[in-house]
Amino acid sequence: MPAAGIVLCGGMSSRMGRPKALLPWQGRTVLEVVIDVLRSVADEVVAVTSGEFELPAVDAHVIQDREPRLGPLGGIRDGLAVVGSDLAFVASTDAPFLSASFVKAMLGFGGAAACEFDGHVQTLCAVYDRRYCEVADALIREKRMRPLFLLEGSGYRRVLPDEVPAADSIRGFNTPKEYLAALRATDGPAILEFLGHAGQQARLSRIEVQAGTLGEILRSAEPELFASADGEIPKQYLVSLNARAFVRNASMPVGPGDHIIVMDSAVGG
Amino acid sequence: MLHGYHGCYLRFDLTTGRGTRVPIPDAVLRRYIGGVGLASWILHREAPVGVDPLAPEAPLVFCFSPLVGTPLTTSAKFAVVAKSPLTGLLCDALSSSHFAIEGKRSGFDALVFTGRCAQPCVWIAGELVPTDLWGSTPAQTESALSQHGRVASIGVAGENGVLFATISNDGRHAGRGGLGTVMGAKKLKAIVVRGTQRPTLADPGAVTRRARDLSRRAQGPATAKYRELGTAGNLLAFSRLGTLPTRNFRGERLEGVERLAAENLQPVRQERRKSCASCNIGCEHLYRVGQGASVRVEYENLFALGPLCGISNPEDVLEASRLCDEFGLDTVSAGGTIAFAMECAERGYLADAPCFGDAAGLLALLADIAHQRGVGKLLSLGSRRAAQVIGRGSLDFAPQVKGLEIPGYEPRTLQTMALGLAVSTRGADHNRSGAYELDFSDRVDRLHGDERAARLAIEPEARAALMDSLILCKFLRHAVDDLFEESADMLREVVGWDVDAAELRATAGRITNLKKAFNIREGWEPPDDTLPRRLLEEPIAEGAGRGARLTRQRLERMVRSYNLARGWTAEGYLRTEAIRDLGDDLPTSAQNP
Repeated sequence: MPAAGIVLCGGMSSRMGRPKALLPWQGRTVLEVVIDVLRSVADEVVAVTSGEFELPAVDAHVIQDREPRLGPLGGIRDGLAVVGSDLAFVASTDAPFLSASFVKAMLGFGGAAACEFDGHVQTLCAVYDRRYCEVADALIREKRMRPLFLLEGSGYRRVLPDEVPAADSIRGFNTPKEYLAALRATDGPAILEFLGHAGQQARLSRIEVQAGTLGEILRSAEPELFASADGEIPKQYLVSLNARAFVRNASMPVGPGDHIIVMDSAVGG
Repeated sequence: MLHGYHGCYLRFDLTTGRGTRVPIPDAVLRRYIGGVGLASWILHREAPVGVDPLAPEAPLVFCFSPLVGTPLTTSAKFAVVAKSPLTGLLCDALSSSHFAIEGKRSGFDALVFTGRCAQPCVWIAGELVPTDLWGSTPAQTESALSQHGRVASIGVAGENGVLFATISNDGRHAGRGGLGTVMGAKKLKAIVVRGTQRPTLADPGAVTRRARDLSRRAQGPATAKYRELGTAGNLLAFSRLGTLPTRNFRGERLEGVERLAAENLQPVRQERRKSCASCNIGCEHLYRVGQGASVRVEYENLFALGPLCGISNPEDVLEASRLCDEFGLDTVSAGGTIAFAMECAERGYLADAPCFGDAAGLLALLADIAHQRGVGKLLSLGSRRAAQVIGRGSLDFAPQVKGLEIPGYEPRTLQTMALGLAVSTRGADHNRSGAYELDFSDRVDRLHGDERAARLAIEPEARAALMDSLILCKFLRHAVDDLFEESADMLREVVGWDVDAAELRATAGRITNLKKAFNIREGWEPPDDTLPRRLLEEPIAEGAGRGARLTRQRLERMVRSYNLARGWTAEGYLRTEAIRDLGDDLPTSAQNP
């Protein structure tokens, strides 16, 4: 049966302090990871964004919220409005552990479905039925903004964890602490590389490191150079994460697959 | 009489062999300081409107500054300014070391050459002397003339009219925009300066104390990169970050690029390290090449003659760089033009040009360009004009802005710099716009340029305009807490002006306005502030920057935002008050159309 995937990536991530969609995860962003999982199962993938930050180039149809600040229900409605399949697995962007087998099993119920996990119905890793779009519109008009109301309005199936594989793969994170814990729970090293003049100063030019905050990792690898890397990275160095953003915040969590590049801050000619 | 200045420039007519002392009003010195600022003012006055850059009437300005000759570290610099034969717009280039100090002692704040010699000549401290040095390398010329003073000269590229020829002194170059071509068109092989006239200082004790403090900071961590590894230390980091352009900006991976990394080359190649006169940073790294030769290595040489041409063998890239020095060729334009030719060859648009990765072809082509042989004659015009001749849509991938080849900063992954490259008055340029510093920070999203980043790009431009006019080396910029405050202190102590940081900010803006006014006068139009179509339509294909994309609409939004933030019209023209602020002693043709 044809199915779609919808990723909600427009949240304000206020507790995280920065867009969760763009958090690094194994050398990519969590958004890219979730899109890849959905792409492996669904016929089409839509990413719904708020437009308040730019997304990386992703393998999905990117749309913007029709109305701002409606929360996840608005994103679900807007995503359902553009997909071509009746059923769509909707995932929040902070679900990098999401298992394709779980998504496939949930879609296999043939209708709206959500799994109960940790005592709650997980509405942001659930299957929605496009034919109930008008219900979403009505809920928004009535300011009843919980996605659970939409599931209830479409007669969803409440799935127990032991009915599907890898139900725990839907766990996410909302705070830097939870994000760091998630990184620490993931196997594999990050790469720490010192280049240019920073490479001349460092004892090793390229090493494997375990998950931690940037400050922890740098202090552990080069205690003499980064003894003061508590709040911010010392200003004579520039630190890039996965060849994208430059990071000054030493409490930035870094995990498996990430590539930390340390270079001199005197860049260019 | 002001301290720190002679208060005049020398206008020397090479056609008649006569020089004239031209006073410079104090108000002009205060408005434009020296270096690039003052030279741009002189060019604006001396150049006839619409002059052919290679005509006898076109002036060539060598300009010193109030700080030259003081003990302030890195101050031994001078500016060369002319209308560029490559861009048709104002070109300002800097060089440094003993020529600057000796030139200032000549008793003039600037030397302006107009006219054309009847035969190849050298100018020795006011005397025009026929020479048989035509055909010599800059090093040979300098050696032959050093008994008379400090020498700036051109190589065969400048003699033969290659549009991106340099002026060389003390082993360094005023490199970009074809200033050596202007000198060659005047049949002027070399300029030799000497003198004994040293301007007084307003507060010598304070200057000495400041010099000592500045030298101490210039030995600190803020300049360690330049001292220890040089700008070549950029290459590997740029490659890892997806900001190293490869194969004519096709955005491809280049296998073996690590071989060119300074981290790997320095231990086996470095012969010695040198400093310019009056500098204690010591950024010049000389590497061994071939049998007993050495070459000064910078990131731009390595990038342009290496990855941009698909070449990663260090011996070939260093030899190409040495040849550019010997011929007097701008390495960035040489590499950019040859990379363009390589792509044309691969597409079947250009016969007799090498393909990417053909190092022997690159070395042969450099000689052919310098000597105007075969396909080298076409390529001696630079990539824009060559593309106009070749046609077939090749202008879309000619790596240039306003005719000047793009330096080693990938615009699609450094999008604030993309703006800087597009709007710079001398064409694609990394020395007048330091917008890349924003991209290499947590202040902007370098993969998604926006209007805010465009507004921020003005600040590094302002710092560059001030440093290029004082003149101080930009490698000092990280060693100074507040450049404008500290520069005001320097000018108070050297010149005696009661100047403050706010005035110098206004001065920096005025200098940029003046250069813009010259360009408007000479035919600049708003559509010139853009990038080649390739960079606006093709995403990066491979490597760390894969998928990065810059659209025309995004760049246009940034340019518009930048123009408005500068106080210009949205299209980039100066407003009336900005024109008035340039001074009433400029030709009225500074007006917008």
